[in-house]
Amino acid sequence: MEYLVSGILGLPLLAAAWVGIRQLFGQVQGDQSEVMTAWAVILATLVSTLLCVGLAIWPAAEYPIVTLGTWLNSELFVVPLSFYTGGLNMHIAAVFAVIMLSMMRFAVNYLHREAGFHRFFFILSLFAAAILMLLLSATMIGTFIGWELAGVCSYLLVAYAYNSAVPVFNATRIFITNRIGDVAFLLGIGLSFSYIGDVSWQALQQAAPELTVTDTTVLALCFAIAALVKSAQIPFTPWLARAMEGPTVSSAVFYGAVSVHAGVFLVIFLQALFTQSFLAMSVLLILGILTAGYSFWVGLTQTDVKSSYCFAISGQLGLMFAECGLGLWEVATWHMLLHALLRSYQMLHAPGFIQQVGELPQRSFLTTLGKVRWVYVVSLQRFWLDPIADWTIVHPALRLAKDLSYFDDHVIDSAMGIPAPAINALASLAQLEEQKIGANLDNELDNFARGSGLAGKLAELVALILHWVEDRLVLRGVTEDALSLGRQLGHIANRIEQLLLRPRYLSLFVFITLLAAF
Amino acid sequence: MGILSLLLWTPLVGGVVLALLPVQTPWKIRLLSNSFAIITLLWALVSLAYFETQNPLMQLTEHWVINAELGNTYALGVDGFSLPMVLLGSLLMCIAMQASAYISHGLKTYFASMLFLEFGMLGVFLTQDWIMFYIFWELTLIPLFFLIDRWGGARRHAASLNFVLYTIGGSLFMMASLFALGEFVPHMGGSLMTTFAEAAKMMPPEEQLLVLIGFLIGFGVKLPIFPIHGWLPLVHVEAPFPVSVLLSGILLKMGAYGLLRVVSMLPQAVLSVQAVLVGLALFSMLYGGLLAWRQSDLKAMVAYSSISHMGVVLLGILTFNVTGMMGAILQMTAHGLTAGALFLLLGWLYKRTGTLNIQDYSSLAPVIPRFAALMTIALLAAMGLPGTLNFVAELHAIIGGFERWGAWMVFFSFSILVSAAYAIRTLGLLFTGPVKPRMQGLKDLSRSEFLMGSVLMLLIVVLGFMPSKLMDLSEVTIKHSVAALATATAASAQGE
Repeated sequence: MEYLVSGILGLPLLAAAWVGIRQLFGQVQGDQSEVMTAWAVILATLVSTLLCVGLAIWPAAEYPIVTLGTWLNSELFVVPLSFYTGGLNMHIAAVFAVIMLSMMRFAVNYLHREAGFHRFFFILSLFAAAILMLLLSATMIGTFIGWELAGVCSYLLVAYAYNSAVPVFNATRIFITNRIGDVAFLLGIGLSFSYIGDVSWQALQQAAPELTVTDTTVLALCFAIAALVKSAQIPFTPWLARAMEGPTVSSAVFYGAVSVHAGVFLVIFLQALFTQSFLAMSVLLILGILTAGYSFWVGLTQTDVKSSYCFAISGQLGLMFAECGLGLWEVATWHMLLHALLRSYQMLHAPGFIQQVGELPQRSFLTTLGKVRWVYVVSLQRFWLDPIADWTIVHPALRLAKDLSYFDDHVIDSAMGIPAPAINALASLAQLEEQKIGANLDNELDNFARGSGLAGKLAELVALILHWVEDRLVLRGVTEDALSLGRQLGHIANRIEQLLLRPRYLSLFVFITLLAAF
Repeated sequence: MGILSLLLWTPLVGGVVLALLPVQTPWKIRLLSNSFAIITLLWALVSLAYFETQNPLMQLTEHWVINAELGNTYALGVDGFSLPMVLLGSLLMCIAMQASAYISHGLKTYFASMLFLEFGMLGVFLTQDWIMFYIFWELTLIPLFFLIDRWGGARRHAASLNFVLYTIGGSLFMMASLFALGEFVPHMGGSLMTTFAEAAKMMPPEEQLLVLIGFLIGFGVKLPIFPIHGWLPLVHVEAPFPVSVLLSGILLKMGAYGLLRVVSMLPQAVLSVQAVLVGLALFSMLYGGLLAWRQSDLKAMVAYSSISHMGVVLLGILTFNVTGMMGAILQMTAHGLTAGALFLLLGWLYKRTGTLNIQDYSSLAPVIPRFAALMTIALLAAMGLPGTLNFVAELHAIIGGFERWGAWMVFFSFSILVSAAYAIRTLGLLFTGPVKPRMQGLKDLSRSEFLMGSVLMLLIVVLGFMPSKLMDLSEVTIKHSVAALATATAASAQGE
């Protein structure tokens, strides 16, 4: 009976594979294929939803974990393929599965004859599998796989209109931001393996009370960062606003209902760990309250419905984190589930809402606050969180990459003797240009200066040698080579100057020292 | 206000007036600038009239301390070395101005630059103070840079940059040498050339040698001497032709003139490296000659022949005897007239045909007889045919050289042979041969062009037949200077 859990995960995955293969072989054309794709995905999700609901109501066994096999076995490091077949996880999975199912049904009409219909259903189905994996996996590795897969699906759907620049840029930015959380997650996995020698959630929850406060704090902070990024809390909130690029359905699934709640779920799920660490709880509380305030403030000036919802969502998520921070786990759980239900409806309804409201004048909210200029500006600029991130992380990283690329091109490549073809082609053009400096001595002269007789031939030979001396040493040697040498020296001086002026190496050095110190 | 001051300041005033007056009509601008150039030439002729050929010392001197603390002085004067150059310079400037009638854009800037250039150039020849000399020397660069960079040929940017970098690079060494010499000048002694000459005698020989090398690099770039002539071919080819006329006609002579002054200041040092310098001079002659022979571009040919002919000047200076020195001075004038005339004629030819590749030409003599006549005289003068001033000059130089070094002068002869080869070949290719349809129907030189060319050719020929007047100008100065050199070298020989 408990092996049914493989069906919960497997069916959406199979449906995604089927859609993907059909698309790959070009068998999707016309309305008929849309129907087939939609039915395949919906049927798979329906079965898996029914299974979830069934298992949630009638848990299969007293011991709710089933192990289907071993994924990795490397002496001490064992990763079993094990899943929860009941309990909180299954309940949440059931709710989310119902939401996803109804969204899919909605999308069948919403995306009818839309370019990328099949792609959309493929990704949505894959996402369903990923999120169920995330929720049901009993090992950290499994959860991480689902976590990551959900991130990839989110990336693909934000970049749904991949032929225009802005969505693609936004998708990349979101994905990169999410990687910060992934790093923390992975660090958490590694640390818990080193502390308790196991990567199953259950072991962590059981071992949590016995760990030292420092260990639990570090672990809890790692998972907290992962959760904060996933649920768009301060200072990572701006990615959520960028995510509203995809079709409305995907916005609803990912950022209204399911995906953003993964962070909250992780925290609630690890309450045994978090309650051990006062610091981690305080971090959750403070950041949650800050995010709620921030979202409220910024939300006041939003003029389109999707952005308003977006900041409403991050605000509610902030409240959930605050509840977790206060230890109100039950409240947070209900809050999360109800919010997912409400928000999914609200997001799907957004286009219709606009049509219904139409041209009606909108009532401004808190107008007195809007008259204070700095409050207004701060709200409009969203606290400059994006530019701050650019200046502190993105630009230094880019420049560092540029330096390394320079090092690679000029030191490693030249040492290894790997040619850089494009650059060389340009350089030969430049050489051609530079050859023009100096008197033009190369034009048919050898046919022109002809002597006859012994003296004439001798003069010709001497003139030839002198010509070489003049052309190579005097004209090009002195002017051209000196100029290019000067130019190279100038480049080097510029580079050193840049390195000295920019604090990135200093900060990198400080960073490394700090890392080494801990 | 002496004659020399009037002579020196007229072009500057002209340039400023031209720049400030709201004149826009081309003919007015040309008239104004030409009249200033002609006034300058008149002042030069007046100073010639006042010049006493029997007086070996500086004449028509003016002296006026500018900055007592630093010691630089506004001191002007002419002697047998500088007067021919002043005359040649102001004459060539008049002709170059006339020949610039074809310039159609940026007229005002162009003519003002020319006048500023004349101011700097005259300053170099007239001043008797090393600091002022250096200032005037650098002052010529600024207008030249703009003249080449704005009105030059296709590669004018490279050419002007090249020229300025070379010259500034050289003059930095000159400045270092001047500083080094200044160390030996007593406090508040000033920077007069005579003061520096006295100071140089205090200098230890090895330091004198270093100072000489600095000067050699500074003046050698302008002269030019063999390894540092890299700017010359490009600049001569790319500069607008009136500027080429000035460059080869008078600005190269600034280097030779500076060298003359330095040689009389540091005779022992020169003697110690004389062999090397003579070697360089002879090599420059052959080198320039053979490369000129290889050029199919006419302007490049004249440019390289300049290297060859300026080698004669260097050789003449190094002989340290009256004949050789006379050869050097005469060669400066002769080459100024010849090279100026050649660039002038080639500029006119280029305006008519748009090409300077000699292989494009053929059988021009019946088509443009006036041009052919002038070009023939100029090329014959360039190869040093008797009856031209060049012959007199080369004869003096070679005799002076024989007195000093004997059989080594065979290389001099070779270079004359080579110059004959390319001159005759050029004549043959230009004026004889099969008729090319493309070269038919060219316009001959206009009357004013012919007049300008004739002035130069007449000077070359008349002075070639009657060089005594010109020689009288410099003879006493040369004798005086050679005597001074002889005593200095004798004193140092005794000292050893």
